[in-house]
Amino acid sequence: GLGTVRGAEEGSEARSAAGSRRRPGPARHGALDYPHVQIPFEITLWILLASLAKIGFHLYHKLPSIVPESCLLILVGLLLGGIIFGAEEKSPPVMNSDVFFLYLLPPIVLDAGYFMPTRLFFENFGTIFWYAVVGTLWNAIGIGISLYGICQISAFGLTDITLLQNLLFGSLISAVDPVAVLAVFENIHVNEQLYILVFGESLLNDAITVVLYNLFKSFCQMRTIKVIDIFAGIANFFIVGIGGVLIGILLGFVAAFTTRFTHKIRVIEPLFVFLYSYLSYITAEMFHLSGIMAITSCAMTMNKYVEENVSQKSYTTIKYFMKMLSSVSETLIFIFMGVSTVGKNHEWNWAFVSFTLLFCLIWRALGVFVLTQIINVFRTIPLTFKDQFIIAYGGLRGAICFSLVFLLPPAVFPRKKLFITAVIVVIFFTVFIQGITIRPLVEFLDVKRSNKKQPAVSEEIYNRFFDHVKTGIEDVCGHWGHNFWRDKFKKFDNKYLRRLLIRENQPKSSIVSLYKKLEIKHAIEMAESGMISKVPSSVSLSDYHEGKIKPLSPTEMENMREILTKNLYQIRHRTMSYNRHSLAADASEKQAKEILIRRRHSLRESLRKTNSLSRERPAAANTKRFLSLPKNTKLPEKLRVRNKTSSRVGDSSDSDLDAATTVLNLRPRAGKILREQRLRQQRPLPEFRVEWKNEVDGSQDGRGEQQDPSTLPQPSIGFRQPLLTRPRFGTLSREDLTADHGSARPMPPPRLVRQASQGDRQRNKPENQPY
Amino acid sequence: MMFCGTEDPFGQLGTAVLAVLPLSFLCTGRAWGAEKPLARHANLSLSFFSSSVSHSQITRLYSRFTSLDKGENGTLSREDFQRIPELAINPLGDRIINAFFPEGEDQVNFRGFMRTLAHFRPIEDNEKSKDQNGPEPLNSRSNKLHFAFRLYDLDKDDKISRDELLQVLRMMVGVNISDEQLGSIADRTIQEADQDGDSAISFAEFVKVLEKVDVEQKMSIRFLH
Repeated sequence: GLGTVRGAEEGSEARSAAGSRRRPGPARHGALDYPHVQIPFEITLWILLASLAKIGFHLYHKLPSIVPESCLLILVGLLLGGIIFGAEEKSPPVMNSDVFFLYLLPPIVLDAGYFMPTRLFFENFGTIFWYAVVGTLWNAIGIGISLYGICQISAFGLTDITLLQNLLFGSLISAVDPVAVLAVFENIHVNEQLYILVFGESLLNDAITVVLYNLFKSFCQMRTIKVIDIFAGIANFFIVGIGGVLIGILLGFVAAFTTRFTHKIRVIEPLFVFLYSYLSYITAEMFHLSGIMAITSCAMTMNKYVEENVSQKSYTTIKYFMKMLSSVSETLIFIFMGVSTVGKNHEWNWAFVSFTLLFCLIWRALGVFVLTQIINVFRTIPLTFKDQFIIAYGGLRGAICFSLVFLLPPAVFPRKKLFITAVIVVIFFTVFIQGITIRPLVEFLDVKRSNKKQPAVSEEIYNRFFDHVKTGIEDVCGHWGHNFWRDKFKKFDNKYLRRLLIRENQPKSSIVSLYKKLEIKHAIEMAESGMISKVPSSVSLSDYHEGKIKPLSPTEMENMREILTKNLYQIRHRTMSYNRHSLAADASEKQAKEILIRRRHSLRESLRKTNSLSRERPAAANTKRFLSLPKNTKLPEKLRVRNKTSSRVGDSSDSDLDAATTVLNLRPRAGKILREQRLRQQRPLPEFRVEWKNEVDGSQDGRGEQQDPSTLPQPSIGFRQPLLTRPRFGTLSREDLTADHGSARPMPPPRLVRQASQGDRQRNKPENQPY
Repeated sequence: MMFCGTEDPFGQLGTAVLAVLPLSFLCTGRAWGAEKPLARHANLSLSFFSSSVSHSQITRLYSRFTSLDKGENGTLSREDFQRIPELAINPLGDRIINAFFPEGEDQVNFRGFMRTLAHFRPIEDNEKSKDQNGPEPLNSRSNKLHFAFRLYDLDKDDKISRDELLQVLRMMVGVNISDEQLGSIADRTIQEADQDGDSAISFAEFVKVLEKVDVEQKMSIRFLH
């Protein structure tokens, strides 16, 4: 403890005063040289303890789902604080505000900002901004004024607290804390939009909090307040917020630019990400701007470009390391909060504390309600009551207000201890009570009509069916459409930024090509092994005897139900995987892969079927042409197929593979693979003939094999319209044939084909130009 | 907004803030951030839908339509739908895409697009009593069920045969279920629904099975409000 440390320090000082030389003689190995290693030792012990506590929680698997981790960590901290207090009869070390703001907070915000879905964020930016700015102002001023009203009542003994002090207190306690919010929302599954709203609000309100806090603090210390100061305060807000964002963006670009040149030294790539983001944070803090906004904007900017520049391994390293740092930070923060609570820093006043709590809740609820009514007018997706409840109830306070209250100058705030107590009570209440009860309450609000009768086997199927359909249609509708500014930004981005910041023509790293090979191999294997049933032809069903359905026993029904529950595909999870404990959603990855492979296979099947069908039908004028080719008839398929690939790879396969790998978190890789494929295929126009001849010679080298799966993402052949798509193929190959191999072919007879719609042909034309 | 004196700066600040807020009430209909897309084609006349879908929704969905339409020819093809990544990993993705295209066609224009989506509008309470004499709105319970039925029934014979059911089941289920197990599940499903003993599910039987299921909620999308 601290007592022994001091004793040892004095001892060592005496020793070092004697010339900083060890006494001659045998070294005393058993002696403790604690002060030498004190600081790193203690830090390591704290972190180790925090991590061990985390392991402990997860041993009992039910615990984290009921009680959010933050609560458990605070409890551990309380325990520790109690032990230290009991052992030494003095207050344990209070969490240093500097330590918190400079070391513990940035990793958490960085983690959150890096994995923030930017699109969704900007979609809802107006609402987030509205809640963060106006909401925080509302809360701060409301709480401050009402507390001032309470303080005026002399019965409570609080009359010495001025209005300004109350306002300052109000501003620091209205700060919704991203750490606490994240910790609790991990448990409950809310839709993405709601998550973004609460989380975005908690990030953005840092700017307001900083400004208000500093504003009121300086007002408290000033004699007179002029009007100009108020305006300066308002202007200050904009400067703080926007300045922070600008710093973040600037450093984000620099970071992206730096990673463009790191391909020779892959090992330190992750370091740049962390260094630049931390740099943005402390630079902003240096200028008294909002560090949180700086680091968030830096992370969001970096994310897009850095991902494409760094190697796969670096990317994984960055993700893991970021999660690790933020996890450790969060744990430490909560434990420290628990430790700091114990001690002699408190002054209890029933009225003040309870009214603070009450006003926090009331003003938050009121604020959310009123603001939502206003903002719903402008939103296309209005927020329901349930959403509002979650936003209001999810406004948890955490370590930020805790640290801010410790930063209050005691000279100006004689009742500082009272404030500390009140803040701690509010934090504990929000984290514990609200954190634990939010989940059951959300579930309670969700239940509409629970008909818990005997569920039929088919019910599960129907329910899942409807859910899939609904999800599918929702995806078609999309949550967004065109947006003027986003399109402009995208154009600007593509034209200038990407060229500047992303390194092109990267040699295929071994990982990338290995992934590609494995993916293709896997796809082929799955298809070949017949694990995916083909579209059942009418032949296979002829042996089904009608009327043979026998009633099932209950156990058999149970069996069935169990099988279904285990095997029905999940709906795509729309909630964030903001998990501190794991990175990717692996179950849904597997599912997505299966679905994709199956769809590709079925598409390929139907393509094959239509080919075989049409080949057998000489009536179709197209086939005549192909059959009339003197060389092998397999050729047109390859020709057509390869043309399809090259003309289509830009569209569907891009998105298809893109889709898979988006889900699988490997988007930049897939983009690169596809770009390379496309380049490879688009390039050899003059060599086209050569390639073709190679194909004809029957050399089925890896070339052909590799291209075959890449043809899998075909445009969908409708279930009923094989013929309609064929003319397109025909058009392509005819043009090609006549272009390249004029002489030996008999000119195809003029044919009457059902024209694909005008737009369709027009669309094909420009793509055909290269050929 | 003249401030006089410094006695009550915060009251004045408060007044200023409160003065700004009512002004925002007057700015209804303004685009706020990204929540409302800019309507490129202001004079969308979809009077066909005017009773079903609100104007703001139509503009928003038109933006979505144009963003999907890569060929910029005013219609969507199947490839355009397949470009939606989330749809690619939806087990029923192909069927859903198919549902947008009318019989035998390969392109869908905006009317057709909206027509399909109109099925998914939530049922308003005040609509139920509105128009008993007119044609049934597309988002009635019966029409929603009909839409779902058509997703099963490919050959359009107004029956879901065992074969069709099996196809859909296979799409929705992982690779760990054998064909026999799936077959028995399909049998059981038909048995629970079938009333006239033809070993297929007709539309009436389909409706009957689902009478306790909250179809209105399951097949409604909030932002088609």
